[in-house]
Amino acid sequence: RVIIRQEPEAASKYIAEYVVDRIKSFAPRPGQPFVLGLPTGSSPVLVYRHLVRKHKAGEISFKNVVTFNMDEYVGLPPSHPSSYHSFMWEHLFSHVDISPSNVNLLNGMAEDLEEECERYEAKIREYGGIELFLGGIGPDGHIAFNEPGSSLQSRTRVKTLAYDTVLANKRFFGDDVSQVPNMALTVGVQTVMDAREVVIIIIGAHKALALQKCIEEGTNHMWTLSSLQLHPHPLIVVDEDATLELKVKTVKYFKSIETVAKSCGMGQKMPK
Amino acid sequence: MPAQVLPSESYAKNGVVKLTNCRVVRSDRLVEEDIWMSSQTGKILNGQREFFDSRTEPDETVDLGGRIVCPGFIETQLNGAFGFDFSVVPENLSDYSKGLAHVNNLLAKTGVTSYLPTVTSQPARVYQTVLPFLGPSGALRSPSIGAESLGAHCEGPFISPKRNGIHFLSNILDPASGISSLESCYGTDNLQASTTPIKVITLAPELPNAVPVIEELSARGIIPSIGHTDATYEEALAGINAGAKTVTHLFNAMRPLHHRNPGVFGLLGTAPSALAHSIDLGSDTPSAHHDPPAHETYTKPYFGIITDGIHVHPSVATLAYSFHPDGMIIVTDAMPFQTYPDGLYPAPYGSHIRKSGNVLTLEESSRPAGRLAGSSSSLIECVENFWNWVGPEVSLARVLATVTSTPAKMLGCYGAKGCLEPGADADVVVLKGGLERSGRKTLRVAEVWKFGARVHKGDV
Ligand SMILES: [Zn+2]
Repeated sequence: RVIIRQEPEAASKYIAEYVVDRIKSFAPRPGQPFVLGLPTGSSPVLVYRHLVRKHKAGEISFKNVVTFNMDEYVGLPPSHPSSYHSFMWEHLFSHVDISPSNVNLLNGMAEDLEEECERYEAKIREYGGIELFLGGIGPDGHIAFNEPGSSLQSRTRVKTLAYDTVLANKRFFGDDVSQVPNMALTVGVQTVMDAREVVIIIIGAHKALALQKCIEEGTNHMWTLSSLQLHPHPLIVVDEDATLELKVKTVKYFKSIETVAKSCGMGQKMPK
Repeated sequence: MPAQVLPSESYAKNGVVKLTNCRVVRSDRLVEEDIWMSSQTGKILNGQREFFDSRTEPDETVDLGGRIVCPGFIETQLNGAFGFDFSVVPENLSDYSKGLAHVNNLLAKTGVTSYLPTVTSQPARVYQTVLPFLGPSGALRSPSIGAESLGAHCEGPFISPKRNGIHFLSNILDPASGISSLESCYGTDNLQASTTPIKVITLAPELPNAVPVIEELSARGIIPSIGHTDATYEEALAGINAGAKTVTHLFNAMRPLHHRNPGVFGLLGTAPSALAHSIDLGSDTPSAHHDPPAHETYTKPYFGIITDGIHVHPSVATLAYSFHPDGMIIVTDAMPFQTYPDGLYPAPYGSHIRKSGNVLTLEESSRPAGRLAGSSSSLIECVENFWNWVGPEVSLARVLATVTSTPAKMLGCYGAKGCLEPGADADVVVLKGGLERSGRKTLRVAEVWKFGARVHKGDV
């Protein structure tokens, strides 16, 4: 399923509403939490803003939600302003009622990084897997730090970052490349694909090619998100700009699907 | 046998309180974020660290419904309140501590979490009797004390007899013998550098020996303040150069502003070095060219100002602010009553004082019962006034700085007081802003927290 919205704002709102609906219909309770995978990056910021707004309006509680984040830099303390811990604190966790013990992020300061990755996968399994993995993608179609060429069966592991990724992130480190960590811990492509549902937000013209490669071409480890084609319940929400590289036919197809589904009263709910 | 239910007290308590759904005063703006604090340490916590590193679940989460969270107010000039005058020695000294405790308690509920109890010009025995009661009281970090003294403010008696205001002329002294004049007045013990109960001394810099006294006070860690003074601009400047850091109730009890000699007010203008060759007072001929003095760094002084709408015209208050926004400190200068004829007087903090002879009594407030004399304090009324006087370009956060970060910086305690950064004392005022039909903006105290514990919750 691909949902197209005119503006980034509308696309983000759609996702936030979707996530809230999913959590509510799941009816999580202590002992049976809703397990949510979460991304960082610029595209999800708006989604988080909507989630916070909905929480403040009393529409959603995160009390019984357990989260797993996708990735974290190696060697960056959680309190560093550019760490993904700080990102999540700033954009979501500090504004909602989530319990600190229900929040999981990879520890990039761990002494044994491989052990940390195994622990993370084990913890996801302990919770019975991830119910919904929310993600974004890079301009090269990568999901989390699974850059082009990553195995589509990869699991949580230590990754050396591509120089392009380091460059893209230097703006978060005072524009100083030497300050950007060059290693990260990241969930694998398979970790994401194991989730019962995967929801991806893609915003902006600079991601149009990635979107095109991931949905119009074959499954390919150079565009790691393309593995989504093999997922039983994927949902991609994009803004109009991100569809620039898609065939007109593709865009029309997905728009008509949404219209028809709506008219049948089906919406885009995940089948139970 | 019924299952044993544990009372909630028996769970491990971490004393962590989270204020949520609020707008926090951060330098010049209000920021939507939470405040984490500890009632055990009495300090503001780093919420992110508590969350990730300690996985702390707050004991109490307080939903403030969008209200404003501000550092506790600091009042640098309060002569008394709630019928108690810091300058009056009762027959029985235990009544003094009782009165003080009473003031501390009620004052905290008005949002003033720290202050300088201020003693007006008095005979030596009054200072020597009361000062030991008025020193800093925060060492215990006890919320139950209420408002915390940051040290006494001695307003006089080394002031100008021409600008005595309501201070008794017979009490006014010259520092003729320098610091020893002050020692014989306040008491030698009360002027010891490390143990002095005094934080600020208001004096007139033009008095004989005042300049070396200012230097000596600075060296002892006591802040000299220029006030009740007949000083010219030059005399005031000499006080600043000697170490005076602040001005006591600017415009009141000093020479009025004159365009050819601005007096104390001139201290808020351009750095004197820039003016050195352009002014020559008392002569109509253009001044000879002087070389600018050896490069001195000039720091404009802080200044207290009474924004009750009576002491200083609103337009003049905003004028002073625009000259030196980072220096302005709003004060109430709550009035002492001992010099007044018998009668009923409106008192600060919404009460009335009946004076008959030397006896001052607090009349019942006409406001609804159970509310603290109207629940809005004088200081917050002064803040509210000023907020209404300034234009929209001055944010509320900036207005609030005049009773939080600015006085803390003047007193040298910024970081512990006057801000809500992690590590600061958890002295917090929760405010509710409003708008009257007349267009007047209102500000009310909704809650007050002292050292991480709630000491007041109002009905706004
Ligand atoms: Zn005065």
